[in-house]
Amino acid sequence: MIRAKTFRMGGIHPVEKKELAENSALDRMPIPELLHVPVNQHIGAPCKILVNAGDRVKKNQILAETEAGLGSIVHSPVSGECIDVKEMVFPGNRKNSVIIIKNDNLNEKMENTEIQIEPARDTGSFLDILKNAGIIGMGGAGFPTYFKMNPPKDKSCDMLIINAAECEPYLNADYRAMLEYSDKLIEGISYILDSMGMKTAIIGIESNKPKAVDMLNKINNDSRITIQPVKTKYPQGAEKQLIYSLTKRVVPIRKLPFEVGVIVQNVGTILAIHDAAFNAKPLTDRILTVSGNGIKNPKNIIAAVGTLVKDVIEFCGGLDNAIYAINGGPMMGKAFDDFDLPVTKTTSGLLFLTEDECEETEERACIRCSKCLFVCPMGLNPTALMDASKKRKYEYMDDVLDCIECGSCTYICPSGRQLADSIIKGKEKYNKYLKRGK
Amino acid sequence: MSDNKFIVRAAPFLRHRDDIKSIMWTVIIALMPATLWALYLYRFRALSVILFTILFTQLFEWIFLKIRGIKNLTSVAFDGSALVTGLLIALNLPSASPWWMCAIGGFVAMLFGKHVYGGLGNNPFNPALVARVFLLLSFPTIMTTWTVGLNPDVISAATPLGMIKAEGLSSIQNLDMLKMFIGLPVSGTGGGSIGEISELALLLGGLLLIARGIIKPLIPIIYIGTVFIFTGIFYFVDPGAYASPVFHMVTGGLFLGAFFMATDYVTTPLTAKGKLIFALGCGIITSLIRLFGSYPEGVSFSILIMNALTPTIDKYTKTRKFGG
Repeated sequence: MIRAKTFRMGGIHPVEKKELAENSALDRMPIPELLHVPVNQHIGAPCKILVNAGDRVKKNQILAETEAGLGSIVHSPVSGECIDVKEMVFPGNRKNSVIIIKNDNLNEKMENTEIQIEPARDTGSFLDILKNAGIIGMGGAGFPTYFKMNPPKDKSCDMLIINAAECEPYLNADYRAMLEYSDKLIEGISYILDSMGMKTAIIGIESNKPKAVDMLNKINNDSRITIQPVKTKYPQGAEKQLIYSLTKRVVPIRKLPFEVGVIVQNVGTILAIHDAAFNAKPLTDRILTVSGNGIKNPKNIIAAVGTLVKDVIEFCGGLDNAIYAINGGPMMGKAFDDFDLPVTKTTSGLLFLTEDECEETEERACIRCSKCLFVCPMGLNPTALMDASKKRKYEYMDDVLDCIECGSCTYICPSGRQLADSIIKGKEKYNKYLKRGK
Repeated sequence: MSDNKFIVRAAPFLRHRDDIKSIMWTVIIALMPATLWALYLYRFRALSVILFTILFTQLFEWIFLKIRGIKNLTSVAFDGSALVTGLLIALNLPSASPWWMCAIGGFVAMLFGKHVYGGLGNNPFNPALVARVFLLLSFPTIMTTWTVGLNPDVISAATPLGMIKAEGLSSIQNLDMLKMFIGLPVSGTGGGSIGEISELALLLGGLLLIARGIIKPLIPIIYIGTVFIFTGIFYFVDPGAYASPVFHMVTGGLFLGAFFMATDYVTTPLTAKGKLIFALGCGIITSLIRLFGSYPEGVSFSILIMNALTPTIDKYTKTRKFGG
């Protein structure tokens, strides 16, 4: 028996719920009249806003720019008028400035954008393209891609891993992108391998997406690229877990993938890189899944960054008994109740769930069943970390820094305890404690 | 469009189907083969022991939860945990146990086994075993009077393990071990606690727990395996002085203890390594008591002793981090 490749420890099998939208082809949503483009969509230093209310902007014009260090620039998805710059509160209580653009429907582009080009294949110009196109990791974290593609000089990375696991239930955005843009995906990977001087690429796809595996195998014309199915098991798409599944390389604790010679990029990120390199198109679109029993027409859409959630809901036929709105997947996404917030570069899904899809559980005392220890993909002791985090017992909290926040512990807990949430909050507390100098 | 009826809380939004209640009810279902076998063997006597014990255990659970001022009293009181404890106490009693002893068992389990420590999740000792050992020490005669057949007043006899202590090894030489495994009456012996007679029934229940993912097979395998190897070594060295390891498998409370009490979540270690040490300890202590102790059976004591060591085992068995 051939066992599907998978990660070493832990993991769970939540309902997949892919069927709600997996057969819905990508539908390009018309750009609404008003776009609310967030200034900071990435992890890193905040951007400087380059436009003021009243300014006319062209499509693909830079709206906000990174000044120094880790950052990423933001472009306008449309031509029109900047009518306001204001602050909004995003899920997780993060404040962020938003540039409001009134779409003039003229589609007037910046010069030399959205034209066909044959890109040079050297690392320098490659990294410039990533930087100038404002590309960030589209798997969810939003780490600027030109940093991720630029490992320290003493580390040599020979392998590119394309994270196409899409292990979060409900989400199909990467799946649809693989089916519909398979040629661009392969071409993009070849281009990255050439530019970075990397030897091989592996596309890791969960085995519940056989059509995507077949399609890519058919299209693939680059012998350096392998398409590798991996076991359908959450969190298969977690970076360290996927690297282990595909290569058996173990990323040491608190280290990045380049320690083991690997760079991981998400499907959406590769397509954004392709658009930037071959079409001179900056990142202003987002492929996302709109799904759940609480939305009338679940589907996969391409929306302009800055499109409001309420416009997306309308485009998908409206709500139906939803009591949860989630930005992202049901395992790691964030619940929100303000539908005047925009789609960002990292919005992989918008889920609208009904009561019977996610019942709330009453929290009881830990019964020490040890299920959380057995499902933790990082080999932590979640129940002990939760208690330590809640009581701020710093001497027992160090392991909170190794939590990948996948939520498997909370999922499995028969006592309905908010293990992951407590540990994530514990991370914040512990980091502050470390900063204070113990 | 903003609407306040939307709930904002922390991820994840999906939950596994098993909660405390469904787990407890699965344990009850897993105990059904042994329970039904007890009812078949002892009829009305078993029914009375089981009903009285469950009734009183559940009653005292409710009373102590009420005294502690627990919210959601009904849902907590009837989460199935007291039912499991009650049923386990009953299965650990002789068929001739009077109703008041069942009541005392339920009281002791709920008060001294559970609620003085803060209720489910905080109790260091298995409540059912606390009750059993309390009753054994308080009412030694009733607790070791094993009736033969349905009429308690007529005949009583020792359990096979008791026979070794009382009459020597020769008394058990001719017992049919296959019958003992299945739980069929073996002439000349007094069986045992009502729930421990059929190893087959307990094994079926244990396999259900494993198949449903409620318990991992580690503890039962190591516990039973350790008793087998430990008693096997002595039997191998001197078969004239020690009973065979197979005999130790099919008699006493080993299967009941290994599948249903040494696997109790609350009172056993968290990590796989910890569980292994726990089960090993249970196996060694059980074997030592059976072979050299003054009590014929050591399952209850061994599990309680290892319960006491659980915090220490937890302290010294850490999980191994991925990449660490």
